Amino acid sequence: MQQEVVLALLAKEPSHGYQLRARLRQALGPVGEAMNAGQVYVVLTRLEKAGLVTTERPERPNPAKTAKDPADRKTYVLTPQGQQRVAEWLTEVSWPKPDLAEFHLKLVAAAAAGLADPLGIVDTQRRELLRRLREAQRAAMAEPDGSDAALLLEGIVLRLQADLRWLEACERSWTTRRSTS
Amino acid sequence: MGRLLLVARLAARDLRRRPAEAALLLLAIAAATTTLTLGLVMHGVAGDPYQRTREATSGPDIVASVALNPFTGAAADPAPLEDLAGADGVTAGSGPFPVAGSEIEVGGQTADVQLIGRSVEPADVDQPAVTDGDWLRDGAVVVEAAFAGALGIEAGDTVTLDGETVEVAGVAVTAAMTPYPWSNCLVLCAPFRDDDGEGEGAAGGGPARPEPQVESLTDPGLVWVMEDELTAFASSPDALSYVTYLQLDDPDSAQAFADARQPQGPGDEDKPFLEPWQHIVEQVTHVERNAQRVLLTGGWLLGILAVASVAVLVGGRMADQTRRVGLLKAVGGTPALVAAVLLAEYVVVALVASAAGLVGGRLAAPAITDRAAGLLGGAAAPSLTAGAVLTVTAVALGVAVLATFVPAIRAARTSTVAALNESARPPRRVGWLVALSSRLPVVLLIALRVAGRRPRRALLGVASVTVTVSGLVAALAAHAELDAQLAANPDPRMERLGDVLVVITVTLVALAAVNTVVSTWATVLDVRHASAVTRALGATPAQLSAGLSLAQVVPAFAGAVLGSIGGPLLYDAVDQEDVVMPPGWWLVAVVAGVVVAVSVLTLVPARLAARRPVAPILQAETA
Amino acid sequence: MTTAEPRLALATRGLTKTYGDGESLVRAVDAVDLEVARGETVAVMGPSGCGKSTLLHLVGGLDRPSSGEIDLAGRRIDRLGERALARLRRTDVGFVFQAFHLMDELTVVENVELPALLAGHSPRRARARAMALLDRVGVEHKAGSLPTALSGGQRQRVAVARALSNEPVLVLADEPTGNLDSAATLDVLRLFEELHESGQTLVIVTHDERIAATADRLITMRDGAFVDETRLTGGTSGRLGALAGFES
Repeated sequence: MQQEVVLALLAKEPSHGYQLRARLRQALGPVGEAMNAGQVYVVLTRLEKAGLVTTERPERPNPAKTAKDPADRKTYVLTPQGQQRVAEWLTEVSWPKPDLAEFHLKLVAAAAAGLADPLGIVDTQRRELLRRLREAQRAAMAEPDGSDAALLLEGIVLRLQADLRWLEACERSWTTRRSTS
Repeated sequence: MGRLLLVARLAARDLRRRPAEAALLLLAIAAATTTLTLGLVMHGVAGDPYQRTREATSGPDIVASVALNPFTGAAADPAPLEDLAGADGVTAGSGPFPVAGSEIEVGGQTADVQLIGRSVEPADVDQPAVTDGDWLRDGAVVVEAAFAGALGIEAGDTVTLDGETVEVAGVAVTAAMTPYPWSNCLVLCAPFRDDDGEGEGAAGGGPARPEPQVESLTDPGLVWVMEDELTAFASSPDALSYVTYLQLDDPDSAQAFADARQPQGPGDEDKPFLEPWQHIVEQVTHVERNAQRVLLTGGWLLGILAVASVAVLVGGRMADQTRRVGLLKAVGGTPALVAAVLLAEYVVVALVASAAGLVGGRLAAPAITDRAAGLLGGAAAPSLTAGAVLTVTAVALGVAVLATFVPAIRAARTSTVAALNESARPPRRVGWLVALSSRLPVVLLIALRVAGRRPRRALLGVASVTVTVSGLVAALAAHAELDAQLAANPDPRMERLGDVLVVITVTLVALAAVNTVVSTWATVLDVRHASAVTRALGATPAQLSAGLSLAQVVPAFAGAVLGSIGGPLLYDAVDQEDVVMPPGWWLVAVVAGVVVAVSVLTLVPARLAARRPVAPILQAETA
Repeated sequence: MTTAEPRLALATRGLTKTYGDGESLVRAVDAVDLEVARGETVAVMGPSGCGKSTLLHLVGGLDRPSSGEIDLAGRRIDRLGERALARLRRTDVGFVFQAFHLMDELTVVENVELPALLAGHSPRRARARAMALLDRVGVEHKAGSLPTALSGGQRQRVAVARALSNEPVLVLADEPTGNLDSAATLDVLRLFEELHESGQTLVIVTHDERIAATADRLITMRDGAFVDETRLTGGTSGRLGALAGFES
């Protein structure tokens, strides 16, 4: 998990670790299900070491929120450097790079060496992507309308759809190559 | 100039793209204009040949006659006729001429004739104009032209008059008597006819008269003989009548002149009977005027049908047109240009149709107005006046403009984007009809909903059938009356009037049939998509085709009912004389016949539509 | 529904549909064997022109096969006449189309009750059933509106309600999301899922991978024939995070 995400979540107000986790869970929905309980604290510790975050002890501990972890009693606050880092992050335009070249080369190599049928590879890959799509789509259907997670899931679905369409193009292309060769 | 060319080219393209529609349109308007032309031509014909004959023969303003008294047997006395010649206002006169009844025999046919004794010298008033051969000479007679035509007599022929053989010197026309067989009777005729029996002195008889004691004639022809030979040819030489022809200083006052001196009743039989020339005109042109009324009315009815036809045709292709308008506008055509293109198409069709109608009507006119040789110039072709041409062209253009104006304006006003996107006119919703139809059997449900999608087309259907049935009922009623008249009184001209009625009726029905087919086809195309969906939802082809058919039959039924009410009213309006209303079962039969006819006409398009495969339509409209 | 319900809602054997002849013979559907169990949702995928729509029309009785057999709920339908096919469409099949094919001049509820009226049900019953169905698909508040006043997703819901009108054995959907945006597609998918859960048998022809992925079974079609069949069930759970790039 990226440090900047946790930093940005602290930008609104100083928060406890468990509060950050809850906010993450809400925004991610089923996508965040696999998130480890201690993960947020690991990131927070790293951020603290880097001087982007400081901790405060509560003057008046709230007895209603009895945490199991002693670390939970701490409130995390952004330092000025931390705030600057958030501001920089928000303006960044980085985007996850789909690694299509690898799969493409896999097909080319397999065909060239006669090791495997590119169409078979495409087909297997397609099933795998469909399975993923099914999972994402079912998760999306289970989300209530307008939830943050639904939007994320829609993104996943649309990307998988795009990938599947590319696989279709691969299949078409390799089918014609086979029939003309 | 370039714009004009563009408009012309676009209009021509579109017409050529749909030749069948253009042809139907042409046919519809041409039928109407032909009938209208006929009606207008007839207008000019009536009275015209008579006028010419009157001038050529120094026609009389008053025909005065005295006959033997049929009840007392007292011989006619020509003295009162001589007195009349000296009456105030009389400027010229001829006669009195003796008149006698006889029988002619020629080529195995016999007919009654009236013989009028004349001299070789031309008379000042009523000198019959010879159209074939020569005027009277000793031992030869002259035959009235219409009568000669009917019996096939020509100059130089030999005929037998009361057993005496005599040569025919010539054939002539006169304005002093209605041409055969409507001749006025100067001697006794039987049976006494109401309409033209005034020619004999015994016409206006009282209730308690003795039976006539003298032999009488039936529909006599007219033969002029030398005055001194008259008795030789007469059947009963003692029973002579006399006739005098008078001209007045004011021909318009002839009726008043006659009225003042007419015999008034029993006991007045010895007074001369006076017939003003207007009465003869009336007789001569009676048939033509009737034909003209029929033709004009028929022309208007056909015009209305043509409008309905054009409206359906135009409306049916609105969807297509709208897209075209969108395209035209998208490439920079102004609304005016678009409207001009649309109008140009129909105006071209209308002009061609009116030309066809004028030519057709002009060519057909003689066949209807031809009165053989009854009068001078009677056989000459009736002429087309500039006014008639203008009227016909204006009506044809009016039909086209009326039927295209609204769609053209609407199409031109549609937003370009909407026109490009819109694939069809959205159907209309008639809520109560939908609600009502859901309570009816499936076939009626389909029918009412199909009809309800295009209420204006349904109304046009109603109007079209109303007009047709009105015309049909009026024509049937007229025909029935005509038949009754003909049975009593055979007359080739009346028969021809019957032919005119038949032609108009057939045209009317044919145009209505075309309308029905066009309307059904437009509907079928229009509901193609809805039909496919309905079938996908489980309607059988039989239900659908019955529904599509019924969608036409229901308005047709309404139209037939309205028409069978309107028909007698129309007939009443056209025929000012006493109208014999057709019996009720006729109207019922007409309504039933219309329903059957429309069902049959719509059957084929509806069946074709209902059996078309559904899948491609549902596929094609996914977009 | 009869007491002895066959296990299969639909079965075809050697189903073939050809167009033209000689050189220009086109095999739109070529010897297709398909079995659909009751309650199953089957998606047929393939490029446009692969014959999937024709297949749907054949099994729905909108078109007749050139050869082969079709069993619908245990009844041979491939040799039925037009009339019998129409009755079959009325009682056993419900169609959902890409273009919705709602009648624009009828209100939503009038559209939904139409199949029941065509089947000869009383107007009262047809209306009541239509309202219940509209309630089920969640557009009962639009019952009196004209279809043109509805969004695409709503229109397709209405179309689904109409397809369900006569409690069909089989609902056949032809590209049901083809005209819909992403959100409306989700809407329709949810509706299909509800139908699936209520035991409705569904055959969906589509090239939308999302529908394909959520079906019980996915059949791929090429040139009129089935080339692949997959069941996508089986756990891949817990990988959503990875799919979103949210690695823990």
